[in-house]
Amino acid sequence: MTTQADLDLGTHKVITDERVKEQNRLQRLLIRPEMGALVGAIGIFIFFAIVAPPFRSPEALATVLYASSTIGIMAVAVGLLMIGGEFDLSAGVAVTTSALAASMLSYNLHLNMWVGAALALCVSLAVGFLNGFLVMKTKIPSFLITLSSFLMLTGINLAVTKLVTGQVASSNISDIQGFGSANYFFAHTFNIFGIGVRITVFWWILFTLVATYVLFKTRIGNWIFAVGGNLESARAVGVPVNKVKIGLFMFVGFAAWFVGMHVLFSFNTVQSGQGVGNEFLYIIAAVIGGCLLTGGYGTAIGTLIGAFIFGMTNQGIVYAGWNPDWFKFFLGAMLLFAVIANNAFRNYASKK
Amino acid sequence: MTTTAEAPIADAPSGGDVPLIELKAVGKSYGNIIALKDINLRVGAGQVTGVLGDNGAGKSTLIKIIAGLHQPTEGELLVDGKPMTFHSPKDALANGIATVYQDLAVVALMPVWRNFFLGQELRKKGILRSLDTNAMRATTISELHKMGIDLPDVDAPIGSLSGGQRQCVAIARAVFFGARVLILDEPTAALGVKQSGVVLRYITAAKEQGFGVIFITHNPHHAHMVGDHFVLLNRGRQKLDCTYDEIDLEHLTQEMAGGNELEALSHELGRKL
Amino acid sequence: MKFRSVPQEGGADAPSVRRNRLPLAIGALLTAAALAACSSTGGKPADTGGAGGGGGGVNTPRVTIAMVTHEAPGDTFWDLIRKGAEAAAQKDNIDLKYSANKEGPEQGNLLQNAVDSKVAGIVTTLATPDALKPAVANAVSAGIPVIAFNSGINQWKDMGVLEYFGQDETLAGETAGKRLAAEGAKNVICVIQEQGSVALEARCAGVKAGMAGGTVTNLNVTGTDLPSVESTIGAKLQQDPSIDYIVTLGAPIALTAVKAVGNTGSKAKVGTFDTNAALVAAVKDGSVQWAIDQQPYLQGYLAVDSMWLYLNNKNVIGGGQAVLTGPSFIDKTNIDSVAKLAEAGTR
Repeated sequence: MTTQADLDLGTHKVITDERVKEQNRLQRLLIRPEMGALVGAIGIFIFFAIVAPPFRSPEALATVLYASSTIGIMAVAVGLLMIGGEFDLSAGVAVTTSALAASMLSYNLHLNMWVGAALALCVSLAVGFLNGFLVMKTKIPSFLITLSSFLMLTGINLAVTKLVTGQVASSNISDIQGFGSANYFFAHTFNIFGIGVRITVFWWILFTLVATYVLFKTRIGNWIFAVGGNLESARAVGVPVNKVKIGLFMFVGFAAWFVGMHVLFSFNTVQSGQGVGNEFLYIIAAVIGGCLLTGGYGTAIGTLIGAFIFGMTNQGIVYAGWNPDWFKFFLGAMLLFAVIANNAFRNYASKK
Repeated sequence: MTTTAEAPIADAPSGGDVPLIELKAVGKSYGNIIALKDINLRVGAGQVTGVLGDNGAGKSTLIKIIAGLHQPTEGELLVDGKPMTFHSPKDALANGIATVYQDLAVVALMPVWRNFFLGQELRKKGILRSLDTNAMRATTISELHKMGIDLPDVDAPIGSLSGGQRQCVAIARAVFFGARVLILDEPTAALGVKQSGVVLRYITAAKEQGFGVIFITHNPHHAHMVGDHFVLLNRGRQKLDCTYDEIDLEHLTQEMAGGNELEALSHELGRKL
Repeated sequence: MKFRSVPQEGGADAPSVRRNRLPLAIGALLTAAALAACSSTGGKPADTGGAGGGGGGVNTPRVTIAMVTHEAPGDTFWDLIRKGAEAAAQKDNIDLKYSANKEGPEQGNLLQNAVDSKVAGIVTTLATPDALKPAVANAVSAGIPVIAFNSGINQWKDMGVLEYFGQDETLAGETAGKRLAAEGAKNVICVIQEQGSVALEARCAGVKAGMAGGTVTNLNVTGTDLPSVESTIGAKLQQDPSIDYIVTLGAPIALTAVKAVGNTGSKAKVGTFDTNAALVAAVKDGSVQWAIDQQPYLQGYLAVDSMWLYLNNKNVIGGGQAVLTGPSFIDKTNIDSVAKLAEAGTR
């Protein structure tokens, strides 16, 4: 879309520009949603560093980062969708659907693993498209639509696997051509100064940076904020709301495919019951990171911090050696602390 | 662009003033419900047409037809003398008709400059086509300045501005993006006296710059202050169609309040009007 | 004021030369892709051999038997039980209706459904006996024979159930504990992949009892998220480098534990309950020391076959005692004999 405003740019570069920006920069930085999450993350890090000596080692950091990255990659996509004003409760099992699709297609049709992966990508994107299309067409809240697709996918995962393989887990694919290279791409462990760092950590950071750029530096990012903040306003000014929302659902599908490929190439066989329950972890990571549940506000860096907080809490409890029966309780309590810290900090910063 | 009302703005074969927008016998029905019937309206460059009516009179429907959200079931809509059908708000926008809705079509959580350029973002040249945020911020500040608004911080979420300021940003947005005709849907409805003054002054400035303005309101005082033409709607029908010279404020108010019906009522109740 | 220009959709007409070449190029690309797409290694074996076929050697009338378990969906262990049950059902001309729910009260509802459907017989697990008591009592008073298997070794008799096939989780745990003690393990973690599961908790409690000396610590993991399982076990190994044995309660968890051991460079060994096809290789190469086998295929088979015997000949197996199908160990000494069967999915 072109605008004639291009011509006015010459006269509109006002000197007051820089002065205006500086005035509120610090304050604006402080009330950014990520700052509160960062404060929570630092707090939890210090807490576990004090309480759990093994937490301080670089190996522990690598473990925590890996645990965070498998949640984090999905959290970026789910967070973006949340900024756009929608939920996807099928995200957890969609990961398993993708892994199963790639595995069973390659195994039974004797395809190269990369081809199987590409077909699985089509499946995942189609699921995302379907979710988005149904939400926009029926105008039923995405919570309900994706709840239905969650149940259907869970059933499909189990039933189709049983139908095709006769068991509830997919078959061994480690000797199919393409496995080696795909394994490297999706599941490799780098040796950095003697510590094993999984490749998913780097993918996670990359996806977060790309998502941040898209959100703040592109036109589509502006539309995502608008569509989540006020759908009717966005529609009235000509933003293609349907395309944006469906696109966001398809991005969740893409992320589910990516994590699914990691699970597939990392574990070789895929248990068909996997993934149930993870959808809430993705939402939790996004919310801790500052994404508003009602949409229109949030950042990708926030989801990164949120996923990191979850990974630290999850593993930190183990490092601290606390009574395992209380595990879920501790997890919930720490997350509550993180969310409250985030909120309190934001209120404090905005009052200054 | 012309700045006075008299100069013609379109090369009509007949010469003289061709209205920017004209509605001829326009009607809208939803099944058995007649929302509008036989509406005639004219907006010329540099003129303000006030559309008055109480709640339920059909003002919203009328506006949505001109804005492209609905299509009329009867009559025709002419732009520059040529019949047109708008299938979406985009069509209306492309013809220079910008609507500022009652809810302003802004996203409360987003900064002023992002709202200003929503749907028409400026992008840098190059492969990435990233947003030209600097230009957008600067342009927003300068455009608001032009209309007399001094916003120190265009990064503030637009929801933090006062109602009057928000109205003006929305109108400035419509002006900037090449509108010829501004449709303002009850801009002063939720505002206090001082803020209403800001908006009315703004409308006058726009009029003087050569825009056509359709000003919807249920406040006859405001309409009389800036209007050149008045159209009164009552239950979907047109009750009044006259120029500023043909009516005074008292009669306008009376027509709005119920006209003949009110006089009959006062006789019945035995009180003076 | 100028107008906003109507957006021109980009794209000039493609020259006709390009148009003619395009389908050819696409065709060539697709052919190349198709050729490269196939894998010459791995994949489904071409000859699957004689699976099933024939059989069904009885001439007794067809009856319906309900099998109700506490399966959590997707657990490979229950595949084996169902395979055994279906083999017996096919042989005995039985219409087997399978249903499962891991929640005790819900399993009770499924049992009640079976009673209401007036099936000829019910075979069920008794993982949460109290929740199932009412439905079982209804079945017994309605004259429907009930046979239990897999769990409930201490409760089945009092509930009016006729026979019991299986091992007990506590017993299996104690056997595992004794073996651990014999192998010299001092610091063991017992990985529970489903918090609050009666069967799994019983196994770990049994391990603790069987070990007598040394420490056994439980570790809760999220079994539905294997990457998280890998991280959590890894974290535990880093937290306590003196851990020398990991006991898992399911074959997929065992394989994940092996990965975690590899990641952290720990010296801990891995032993597990239950086998699956993928575990065979791990036992062969020594990354998993042993798997406790309660012969789930046998449990399912016996449960259904004994019901057929009872219905047609009033035979009762066990003489009032539980019939044990395990535990037995599968380890390097006997893996070869069961390897092929495990890979075929029946052991």
